[in-house]
Amino acid sequence: MKYLIISARILMVLWLGETALCQAKDLTSGLPAFSSISVCATEQKLPYVYTEWKHFTTKDGLPNDHVFAVKADGSKVWVGTENGLACIDKTTGKIKSWKEKDGLPWRVVSALDVNTKTGELWVGLFGGGLARFSGGRFDHWHQLNSGLINDVVYGVAIENDNVWAATTAGASRYNTVTGEWTIYTEKNAPMEEIWNYGVSYDAGKVYLGIWGSGVLEFDVATESWKDYLDPDGEMEIDLYRDDGIVHVITTGTSYIDGILWVSSYFGMCRYDGRHWRGYFAHETGLPSDFGNAVKGRDANEAWFATDKGVGVLADFPSDTWVTYTMDPNTHRGKAVVTQGQITLEIVDMPRGIPHNYALWTEFDGNNIWVGTSKGLANAIGIGYYKGLRSRARWVAPSGEIEAGKSGGHKTKRPKRSG
Amino acid sequence: MKYILSISFSIVLCISVCWAGEGRDKHPVYVGARVCATCHQTERMGHQFSKWLASKHAGAYAVLANPQSKKIAELSGIPQEPQESTMCLGCHATGAHAEAWEKDDTFFVEDGVQCERCHGPGSEYMDAAIMTDRDAAVKAGLMIPTMLDCMGCHQVKGSHVAIHNLPKLDMEKAWRDIAHPTGKDGDRKSKPPPEPAGAGSGEPKYVGVYVCGRCHKGPGHSYQFSKWRMSRHALAYATLAAPKAYAIAKKQGLKTSPQASAECLKCHTTIFTNPAGGALDSYSPYEGVGCEACHGAGGKYIPQAVMTDPRAAKAARLREVTREVCLRCHENAHDKPFDFEQAVKKIAHPAVPAKAAQTPRYKTPLNMAFSPDGKELYVACEASHTVIVVDVRQRRKIAEIPAGHHPTEVTFSPNGARAYVSNRLDDTISVIDVSSREAVATVPVGDEPHGVLTDNSGKHLYVLNTSADSISVIDTKTLKEIKRLTASRSPWSLSHSPDGSLIYVTNNLSRFVDFRKPSISEVTVIDTSRAAVRDRIAVPAANLLQGVDWHPSGKFALITCNRTKNLVPMTRLVQGWTITNALGVIWKDGRVDQVLLDEPGMCFPDPADVAITPDGRLALVTSSGSDRVAVVDIPRLLSILEAATDEERLHVLPNHLGKPTEFVITHIPTKNSPRGVLITADGKTAFVANALDDSLTVIDIDKLEAVQRIDLGGPKAITKVRYGERLFHSANITFKRQFSCHSCHPDGHVDGLTYDIEPDGIGISPVDNRTLRGILDTAPFKWEGTNPSLQRQCGPRLAVFFTRIQPFTPEELSALDNYICTIPRPPNRYRPLGAELTDAQHRGKKMFERTMTNDNRVIPKGNRCITCHFPPLYTDRHTHKVGEKLWLDGESEFDTPHLSNIYDSAPYLHNGIAQTLEEIWTRYNPDDEHGVTNDMTKDQLNDLIEYIKTL
Repeated sequence: MKYLIISARILMVLWLGETALCQAKDLTSGLPAFSSISVCATEQKLPYVYTEWKHFTTKDGLPNDHVFAVKADGSKVWVGTENGLACIDKTTGKIKSWKEKDGLPWRVVSALDVNTKTGELWVGLFGGGLARFSGGRFDHWHQLNSGLINDVVYGVAIENDNVWAATTAGASRYNTVTGEWTIYTEKNAPMEEIWNYGVSYDAGKVYLGIWGSGVLEFDVATESWKDYLDPDGEMEIDLYRDDGIVHVITTGTSYIDGILWVSSYFGMCRYDGRHWRGYFAHETGLPSDFGNAVKGRDANEAWFATDKGVGVLADFPSDTWVTYTMDPNTHRGKAVVTQGQITLEIVDMPRGIPHNYALWTEFDGNNIWVGTSKGLANAIGIGYYKGLRSRARWVAPSGEIEAGKSGGHKTKRPKRSG
Repeated sequence: MKYILSISFSIVLCISVCWAGEGRDKHPVYVGARVCATCHQTERMGHQFSKWLASKHAGAYAVLANPQSKKIAELSGIPQEPQESTMCLGCHATGAHAEAWEKDDTFFVEDGVQCERCHGPGSEYMDAAIMTDRDAAVKAGLMIPTMLDCMGCHQVKGSHVAIHNLPKLDMEKAWRDIAHPTGKDGDRKSKPPPEPAGAGSGEPKYVGVYVCGRCHKGPGHSYQFSKWRMSRHALAYATLAAPKAYAIAKKQGLKTSPQASAECLKCHTTIFTNPAGGALDSYSPYEGVGCEACHGAGGKYIPQAVMTDPRAAKAARLREVTREVCLRCHENAHDKPFDFEQAVKKIAHPAVPAKAAQTPRYKTPLNMAFSPDGKELYVACEASHTVIVVDVRQRRKIAEIPAGHHPTEVTFSPNGARAYVSNRLDDTISVIDVSSREAVATVPVGDEPHGVLTDNSGKHLYVLNTSADSISVIDTKTLKEIKRLTASRSPWSLSHSPDGSLIYVTNNLSRFVDFRKPSISEVTVIDTSRAAVRDRIAVPAANLLQGVDWHPSGKFALITCNRTKNLVPMTRLVQGWTITNALGVIWKDGRVDQVLLDEPGMCFPDPADVAITPDGRLALVTSSGSDRVAVVDIPRLLSILEAATDEERLHVLPNHLGKPTEFVITHIPTKNSPRGVLITADGKTAFVANALDDSLTVIDIDKLEAVQRIDLGGPKAITKVRYGERLFHSANITFKRQFSCHSCHPDGHVDGLTYDIEPDGIGISPVDNRTLRGILDTAPFKWEGTNPSLQRQCGPRLAVFFTRIQPFTPEELSALDNYICTIPRPPNRYRPLGAELTDAQHRGKKMFERTMTNDNRVIPKGNRCITCHFPPLYTDRHTHKVGEKLWLDGESEFDTPHLSNIYDSAPYLHNGIAQTLEEIWTRYNPDDEHGVTNDMTKDQLNDLIEYIKTL
């Protein structure tokens, strides 16, 4: 191990020297015009870094700055906030919003998903149940008028003709054709706790992220369950690494290209169907182990929304991360590229994520949307590429290359207290 | 001994089934009367089994084969064979609503009303050790019925009175008639019949009548099994328990009871007549003289392949029945003369069914479509289940194409190669090949499809599922449904904009609105480029949005609608009384205007469809309640709207009875109940479908007059039911001809509104409108349960509270009631006939029938679902106080509604305050007065609702 550390230090020294050389040159021509960012001429295999960010807050027309959910839907982007639903028309740039007075059945929008076949938006309401928004009309399902198990809805996912709702008292599956409600709790699923935090669907599998019960996998074809629990029990350390899910308090799941990505309050995971891999802030580019949500872009890239910024595993094979944070003093954005313990690049930006308490991430083609406790951000991905590619490094004016440490006050996504 | 073994085996089988069933739950199973007979047949047990066997209860299933039963079913709107209808079997059989697994192999539905119909399924209590301990037996499920329980089936039923005209059942006498006390000594051990002597090895064995009955039943076999069951042959064994049999036996010097005497049994059972090769387990001597007594033991000829080959059957010992066969027992039997010819006639059971008299089948044309070349007009005919083809130039019927059941709407593919027909009763679309004029494919869609239309490219077919509140989008290439869009409530008709980019969909029912709030209906807007809902245009204070047609300018569409003032008492006569009839202008930008078509002295009831001339100058609107077409001058209408202020357009014009004379040019009379209207592409001619005249009216647009009636070929005679149907759809019965029965009960169903009927103050005693589907035997009527019959409901009371002119004459009333009774119940969408319950439904059934709460408290009998809502009607037909009284209500007890297809008649409760089934219990049952439900978990309540939807 000590040889490894020595080798890493040698590499670091070499790289620092190179970075110092690069500071002497300004090679920004042909790249996005940030007056305060320069580019190093020496090329290296690096991931794509989002450097152009737009912010949306109440000043721009959002009904509230606490953004809990985002869903891209063609030319529209739906935004769920603590006090209303918003829709950003990307073609006109206009934002339309709905509060309770406009027919939104409940003020807190905690989850969103779109039925791509019908174009209907399904809305999880934190304390208000479930709503469908179609053609300007809200339809409302809650504990009293329907078979929904509970009105505190954390997650929503469309699975074929069914809508899943992850609630504080179990999961509900609503068949929109037959009208049948099916409830999943500890009675009929391997749910050690019933506090369902997140739900996602892809390729015949529904994944539930459950507070205290790890991840449950529902096979749509066989209607059977499989559970993924932390082999270390309920310990808040990962006793044996990569032996399973890192912790049973999971907050989000995302299944794509056969890979399951998981966020928890004590680290993140990747599961390829055979092998687990755990990720922690102290050894990766994760800004924090406290994960609020996760979204996998493909088998090798996933975005984790944490309480201290957004951590992006940009290239799984090389364990390369990009960490996006905001300096609470200057409000400037920062992206730090790391590979294991080594910092490869630091990008200082006039604007990054609007707040470090990130609650949601959403892909929109090459662009990214990030919901935070102080507004919504849209990162423009011109020239985005997957994995690593040889390119010049961005260099901050100060020459700083150590990983940024951001703080800031926390505005928590609705979650279990106590 | 063989029979003991056989029956013992059956009992063991029953028990094993019960044990196996415990894997799912502990529900008891039906074991059948023959298992009960194991103990209850002996002399010392009072020959209880034989008493039942000789009773009408035992023949209750068989009598459903009678022509009268068929008539009762028809009169009750039951489309199935009575012996296959759970509605009929609910009272004519045992365990009709039980699942297959709840019936043991020893149970036969053909045994009619058996022991377990009154005493409950017997698997848990049939053990002798339990049965000899009354308390234990009751605890294990033995029910001790009271006379009140009998009333569940024996209350007066209008349908049965109409056919049988029997007096009201004297329940006291009936109770005495079926009394079956045990004998004196109470020896419960059954003494089996003696063994028949001389069974020959190699001879065929007896299989028993139930094996024969597997094939020889139903109309295809002329109900042969049931005919036997209704004959005295079937009672031959049972009669040996009668005092008369004992007297004969005594006279003949027999020392044993007749049923234990081989001498008697040789002519009162099959196997003693001729022992043949013995019997299989399926045979029982209790069947008396069965099929094989005359036709020979069936062990070898019973396979279908043998029976359908006369030579093979004969070789397998199927015997021809001759005089000698009968004489073996009947010659000088008990000194009674025997006339073979007469006897044969009496028990005749020909295999070929007698030709039944055909009920006239009307056409009932509803909606039409022109072929793209304009040469042919296709007419969807609901009653004949066909599409009629009319030659447009010759103006005559040229073909009739069978479709599914209740064709409602028809449309063509843009290239004219196909026509698509919605079959409302089947939940399907028939795809008709236009060149061959035959249906070439059937596409399943949602519940009760109504409107159909393709987009301009023909790529997608849109189908309005009127009972599922959804729109099926069909890929016309693959003929598969690719998605289902959300409509409002009861989507009805649709029309696309001239450029084809938008489709407007009318919705018949208002959206759900808060209690005591006016209706808000919807025009759903589909973006055809995405095949998705783009907008939902709210139409305030309106309901029954039906017809729709786009103006050629593409600026707006016209719709027909009602403006029902259901929140004020029906006595109020301001701005057009209770229901006004209107035309809506739905602008492309989502604005809405409404104008009335009623005039102060002449209303325009039930506007059903609208068509606009190609030049955009005129609109033709049908009034199915007054047999007229209104001709609207569109430029004049638009100028009235443009001249009005926003306030006037919102509040004045929609209620202004004086305005129609300014834009309605004329009214053109049609025949009975005009529904669909279409105008030819050249704008010269209009065709109107006269639903209850089986004809089309041809209108000359230039002259604005009807110039021809095209006969679609329906029966000329008007039956009583058809006459009643016409009365139902006519507004002639109401003050100023403002509305018809159909206005509140479109097509016999519901308009989804809560009405304020009586002049007792605004909002006092509001009542939810109830469906007329399948109501005949659910008297009393009215939520307060004060009308004992349909005659009372639709007679003078209707005139007093609703129509406010002279009531129907007795002849009219009788015809009307006849029609109402026959409004068919659509098949249940949640449990197709004969389908097993799903797991959730099964669990829900347990909740429906439960007697204990989750914490093991006994639920009082009166507070169980099944007590008031028992099958087959799922109503006890009494009023109950269930805690639903609001301060607005005058009464606190309300009629128990039936639950048939309850899922499609929201809202619920007497005042329509519950928008969903869930709300009945989550909101409006706080004190467990409407069944004990508050201890249920959410998943249990969900299961209960899933089951209720299957009823």
